[in-house]
This record gives sequence, C-alpha cells and structure tokens, in this order.
Amino acid sequence: MTAVIRVEGRRRSVLRRAWDYLASFDGLAKTAMWTLAVLFTAALLGRLFGLGGSPTAIVGPRLAPPSLAYPAGTDSLGRSLLPRLLEGVMTTLLLSAVAVLLTAVIATLCGIIAGYRGGRTGGLIMRVGDILYAFPAIVLAILVAAVVGPGYVAALCSIVLVTVPLMTRMVGQATRLVAQRDFITSAVISGVSTPVIMTRHVLRNISGTIAVQGTYALSVAILVEGGLSFLGYGVQLPGSSLGLLVQEGTLYMVKAPWLILLPGVILVLAILAINLIGDSLRDRFEPREARSLE
Amino acid sequence: MRLLHWLPGRLLSAVVVLLGASILIFAAVRSLPGDFAQIVLGPLSNEEQREQLRQSFGFDRSLPEQYLLWLGNAARGDFGLSLASQQPVLDELASRLPVTALLAGMAMLVTIAIGIPLGVYAGTHASTGRGSVAARIVSTIGISFPEFVLGCLVVFLFSRFDLGLSVGAFTSPTADFGRGVVSLLLPALVLSVFCVAATARTTRDAVIGVLVEPHIAASVARGEPKGFIIRHHVLRNALIPVLTLTATITAYLLGGAVIVERVFNVPGIGSYLVLALDRRDYTVIQAGVLLATAVFVIASLLIDVLTGLVDPRVSVAKKGRGA
Repeated sequence: MTAVIRVEGRRRSVLRRAWDYLASFDGLAKTAMWTLAVLFTAALLGRLFGLGGSPTAIVGPRLAPPSLAYPAGTDSLGRSLLPRLLEGVMTTLLLSAVAVLLTAVIATLCGIIAGYRGGRTGGLIMRVGDILYAFPAIVLAILVAAVVGPGYVAALCSIVLVTVPLMTRMVGQATRLVAQRDFITSAVISGVSTPVIMTRHVLRNISGTIAVQGTYALSVAILVEGGLSFLGYGVQLPGSSLGLLVQEGTLYMVKAPWLILLPGVILVLAILAINLIGDSLRDRFEPREARSLE
Repeated sequence: MRLLHWLPGRLLSAVVVLLGASILIFAAVRSLPGDFAQIVLGPLSNEEQREQLRQSFGFDRSLPEQYLLWLGNAARGDFGLSLASQQPVLDELASRLPVTALLAGMAMLVTIAIGIPLGVYAGTHASTGRGSVAARIVSTIGISFPEFVLGCLVVFLFSRFDLGLSVGAFTSPTADFGRGVVSLLLPALVLSVFCVAATARTTRDAVIGVLVEPHIAASVARGEPKGFIIRHHVLRNALIPVLTLTATITAYLLGGAVIVERVFNVPGIGSYLVLALDRRDYTVIQAGVLLATAVFVIASLLIDVLTGLVDPRVSVAKKGRGA
C-alpha cells in the first residue's frame, strides 16, 4: 500500500490524486460518500463472508424483534433480516449502478450525436427522447416489466428507459454549448476528424455534465427499482432488494415495524447520499454566484 | 404575436410525440405474454370459441390494421370494452378519474403553496450560511424520500397511534366532497413531498440566477423595498423555469399516484392501472397509459403557451414591433 501512494518527485500516484480529489469535497458530500461506502462495504462483506448468516435460511422464531442473535430481527418466516438487508442493499446498488452505466453510455453517445451533428439523426434522437419522456416514470417501468416479465432484467430495462431521455437531453444541451466555442471551430478548420473532435474536445468538456447527470440518474434508478419491486414487478423472491423488503414489511407493519423501518431508512439514506453528492458535483462543475438581498 | 410564430410547430411536435407514444403503447401491449382469448374465456374454452372471440375483437387482422382501428376509435373516445368487466373502458376510467384528479390537484396546490415560498426564501438567503445549508438539507431530504417508503411510514404512524386522521377509510369525492377531501389529505401530502422539494430547489436556483442580474442591483440602488423587488423583479423572472417544471410535476403526480393509491388503497386510475396489468386487461392498459401520456403532453403544451404569455421579453418584443 505504501508503495502505491509513495510520492515520487512532483508526480503523485493515481490513487493519491483520487484521494485528494475526494478530500476536496465539502463536509456534507464527504459524509454522503462515507455513508455509501459503509453501506457498500457491509453488503460486500455479507456477500463474501456470509456476514449475518444465510439470507434464505430459517433460523429463529417468527417476527422476533432485533436482538443480539438477530441484529435486525426476523421476518414472518423466521429468516434473519440482517443478511436479507445486506443482500438487498447489494442488489439495489449493483442493479442501479449497472443500469446507470448503460444509461450513461447510451445518453452520452446519443446526446453528443444529437448536439454536435444535429440534422435529421439528431432530430430523430431528440424526438424519441421526447416520446419516452412523456410517460410517467413508474408507468413506463411497469409497462416494461409487464412485457419483459418481472425480475432483474425488467428492473434494469425500465431504469435505462426512464433515465436515458433526460440525460440525453442534458448532454445534448451541454454539447451544443461546447460546439459553439472557438476551439471547436479551429479544430474543424485544422481538419481534425469529427470522431476525434467528439471524443477529444467535446466529450472532455461535457464530462462534468455527464458526472452530475449520472449521479442524479443513479438516485432515480434506486427510486424506480424500489417502486417497481414494491409493486411486485421488480426483483422477485427469494431474491432481495430494498423495495421488495419494504413491500414485505408492509404486511406486518404494526406487529413488526423494524421490517419496514430498516429497509426504508437505508433506502432513503442511500438516495439522500447520492443526491447530496450530485449537488456537490453540480456546484463544482456549474459554479454560480450567490447574492442576498440583505 | 410572437406566440403565433412558434405555436404551429409546437402543436405539431405534440402530435408527433402523442402518435409515437401510442405506437409504443400498442406495440408493448401486443407483446405482453399470454394468450388474450385464453385469459378472457378461461381454461375451459375450446379453440372455436377462442377463434370467434379473436375475430370479434379484430385480433385476426394485421397489426398495422389493428393499430389504425384502435387509434381511430380512440380518437372518437371509444376505447373498447374492458376485458375483465365487459364495461366500456371510457366509463371505467371516467368513474375513477375524479379521485385521481382530486388527489393530484390537492398535491399540486400543496406544491405551489409551500414549494415556491420555500424556494424564494432559500434563494434570497443563499449567501447567508446557515439558512442556505438548512434549506439544502431539507429540500434534498424531500427529493430523496420515495413515496412508497413515506406512504408506508404514514400508514404505520396513523394506524399505530391515534393521530386524528384515519388511513384506509376512503370516501368517494363524488358522493361527499368534503369527506372525500379529508380522506385524500394524507395521500395528497405524501404525494406532494417530492414535488414540494423539487419546486423549492428549482425556485431557489432560479431566484439565485435572477438576483445576480444587474437590474436587481439597480433596484436595490434605487432604494426599492425588499418585498417589492422580490415580487416585481425577482419572482416574475424566476417563475419561468418553475412554470416549466410544472409539466414534469404533472407527469410525476400521475406516476406517483400509481404508488400512493396502492399504498393507501385509493380506488383511482393508478391502482386501476396496476390491477389491469395484473389481469392482462389489454384495452384498459392501452387507454390508461395513453391517457397518462396525453395529460403530460397537453400539460406541457399549455405551459409552453403560458410561458410565452408570461415571459415579459415576449411582450417587450411585441411592443417593439408595434404589433
């Protein structure tokens, strides 16, 4: 480890620079990052080392409140909630992250083409985006789930379809702003090929927008996955996701409130953390001057 | 009128979006798994009966033909019969529309009444440390609370403890409006939380954007009172992005209603749509989803027109041309 972060002259390692970059965020965003890191690490430990036991084994009495033996209580079948919670966190985070990665790739590609090339292709991309955008998110999601069949794939597809239109639009707008600048014109005049301009000049200059929109898309993704699983069209039993756990918790809400409170609180914390990071990124990439009327 | 210059194009794009959405809905519903005739007639039917049913619903024709037939009928307000209840889909939807409309309307009222003042406060106090951080945290928590978690929490609290309002006791607003409003109070509040926070955030950003403009500094220098500046100079400019957001919020309220109605057992369009999907009630799904997209498309069209009317720059341009 020490070898990796050793400072060699004035060039510092990638890890060190990444750490410095993360350290430059404000306190609220740092707390948010720590929250996500803790959630993810706990879920990873649960997956790798079986922390908290098996998520499907029936181990104890039904609806037992949280205790030393069952740190998060047990559910209606006598399964310990903690491992199911960890599995749910893993599923929700991983599913959303993969979906948003897909969204980012599709939206960046389409957005740059629509914003830089414009023309008929660009118009078509924007029009398709408008059509998808006209569907209320959860309605589009359950329609997709009904066609594909409930499960991981349905959740993945609906997250992508819900998040792509807005992100494409934002990337397109950012691209149009960059495309008007002089250095693009001079690159065109110097005979730089269009793909090179798109990747080297446009992409680098809109990376901030992509980061901000990607972060917000991640919070939408968790919302959509949660809502879909809550309605019974997302992740299916015996799998586990935070939305599914909340849905299960509603059945025994009065007798065993921890079944709904724990997944609910974790879900809100995860979305909150991601939104705070998004805000922080936005303040960084799109700095605005503030003035008060005092 | 500058409005007339862009209105035809805007209308055309609304029609294109609606047509595109209708094709998408039609394609999605037709590719739903499961044989339609089997679902309607049950397992005890024979092939002859099923064939007859398919013919009577026009399923033996080609897909484009079926689509045009459906679209033509839909344009005249005929969405066919619900496969589950054999009642006209339009009547089924119309009987549930008042509930969802009231729910969404109440949530919209709360959104405007709380979201905009909150955003103006946060925006005008943005550079004074503590208030800004508090506003940022509160509005971020607001957009981070999924309505199914918040709804379940509210149901839990109000069913566990006696807090004055009961959950689950639904009164139809068409039968008794007053009690209908009261029974929809909690669902509407849950539905509005995200929208209040989103509106507050947008208003705050817009206000901050306007406050740094030179004409505000000029107003301050002229010694105009603070309230006057906010009402006349800041709000009029800042409300334009907020107005644009209203279209998105309308769509959001429709989507959110699906979940909130499910959580609170409210018999509106949203819970009916989920039921229809469970029952593979093709005609209802097609009509319901088309209705939802149409509401969004029409709302955003109206709001664009409204923005054109409100935006002072448009009227200045009009005056300058002597029109």
